[in-house]
Amino acid sequence: MRNLIAATAAVCLGLSALPALAKDLIVTVAKPDRLYVIDAKARTVETDCKLDFNLIPGVIAMSPDNRIAYILAGRWENVYGVDLETCETVFSAHQSDGDIRRKTIASLAVSKDGKEVYTVRNPVRILADRYEVLEPELAVYDTSAGLKAEPVRTFPAPRRMTVMATGRNGMLYAAGHEIYAIDPKTGETTIKIANKSWDRPTYSGPDVLAFWPIGTQADEFMLLYSAAVFTDESQSELADFIWGYESVDLTTGESEIEDFASFEVIMFSAIRDPNDKSKLYGVYTQLSKHDLETKELVKRVDLPHTYYCINISSDGKEIYVGGTNDDIGVYDAETLERIGEILLPSGGDMAAGTMHVISTGS
Amino acid sequence: MRHLKPLNQKADKVVKAVETDNMDEVRAMQTVVAGCASTLDPGWEVDPFGGVAALCQPMEADLYGCSDPCWWPAQVPDTINSYKDWNADADNAGKDWRSLGTVFPSDSET
Repeated sequence: MRNLIAATAAVCLGLSALPALAKDLIVTVAKPDRLYVIDAKARTVETDCKLDFNLIPGVIAMSPDNRIAYILAGRWENVYGVDLETCETVFSAHQSDGDIRRKTIASLAVSKDGKEVYTVRNPVRILADRYEVLEPELAVYDTSAGLKAEPVRTFPAPRRMTVMATGRNGMLYAAGHEIYAIDPKTGETTIKIANKSWDRPTYSGPDVLAFWPIGTQADEFMLLYSAAVFTDESQSELADFIWGYESVDLTTGESEIEDFASFEVIMFSAIRDPNDKSKLYGVYTQLSKHDLETKELVKRVDLPHTYYCINISSDGKEIYVGGTNDDIGVYDAETLERIGEILLPSGGDMAAGTMHVISTGS
Repeated sequence: MRHLKPLNQKADKVVKAVETDNMDEVRAMQTVVAGCASTLDPGWEVDPFGGVAALCQPMEADLYGCSDPCWWPAQVPDTINSYKDWNADADNAGKDWRSLGTVFPSDSET
């Protein structure tokens, strides 16, 4: 009874002194103006932030402490940092200026010390009767700059850049014609993983859909590629269409690129199990589980509708599929059975928005 | 320009350029397709296998994921620059598609 009283007293005094229980939270956006933080296991919305800006496209990069969601919004032009506890916008960068319109095609990342936000922006000068396309640039913002931040540094950047991620070594990894490694202090850009210039004489060039920066659970910058494989270097006779993955480890900086399956169904995004990186899950109108060691398809199930974006629980036991409509499907990672569903209260589509999973507590 | 009357938006901009002494910016663009597209994929017509079974299911699941990035510039209005409010009253494509209308150049903000 004494223990019960003590426990009751602790509850009455508040639990703030106790360590919060570790749990996974899903962070995503939905039309018309919502940022949601969802208790993944409870399937309930924990925080519902009404945003005061247009959230298209809703590409999200989390601060390393998971307190601030940086959202590429304003129809691809602006970056907003939203505090998940208060829903307050604590950072903003409006990239267009005067007759220069600057769009960012999903290229958003936050440094691992949380001090800098990176975008690759594509400037166009709007003249009286036409657009003048200007050179793309990497823009570096100081996250402590508050609202209406201006870049503290800019560097020339390769054209056609999409998603990015940062490593603990300070490097910025970005997907474009190649997977680039960029030093955001100097702007020096090198090829980390060859794509357009890959040395695979019997392969076509790779096709990479790089839109969802979601590899943080497995601490990697990972993208899928597809390609045609020919019987020989003349590339006259087709042998197979294949899926492969390419990844940069965000702690070690090591990279890998490898085929793993024949192209049987489309996958828009994929994630690896943080506790067993041989398990890869991909999503589109089917949910597929692949074994990267044996290169076998473990299982594939049809989904109620197409989903763009996939993520995984920290223990690797649950798969979340989202994007497109207003529901997040929850699947058992072992059986791929649908075990839950989260309907977003606004009823608006997530569309191309990012769906992150973050861990809190200890 | 007294005897010429602009017949489309482009010509109207040329007239405005004359009035504001900006004719040095004007030049002919016969071969340039100017659109909002960040990509130039063909659209909803066909999947990688030459059929339609592997397109997004249903199409409404794909609608805003494609119009937000201006992925299919020919099929849906450009909500990035020109027709920003095309789907302002239709947050759920699957349920609200009936309120999505056709747009015309006169509706454009640009």
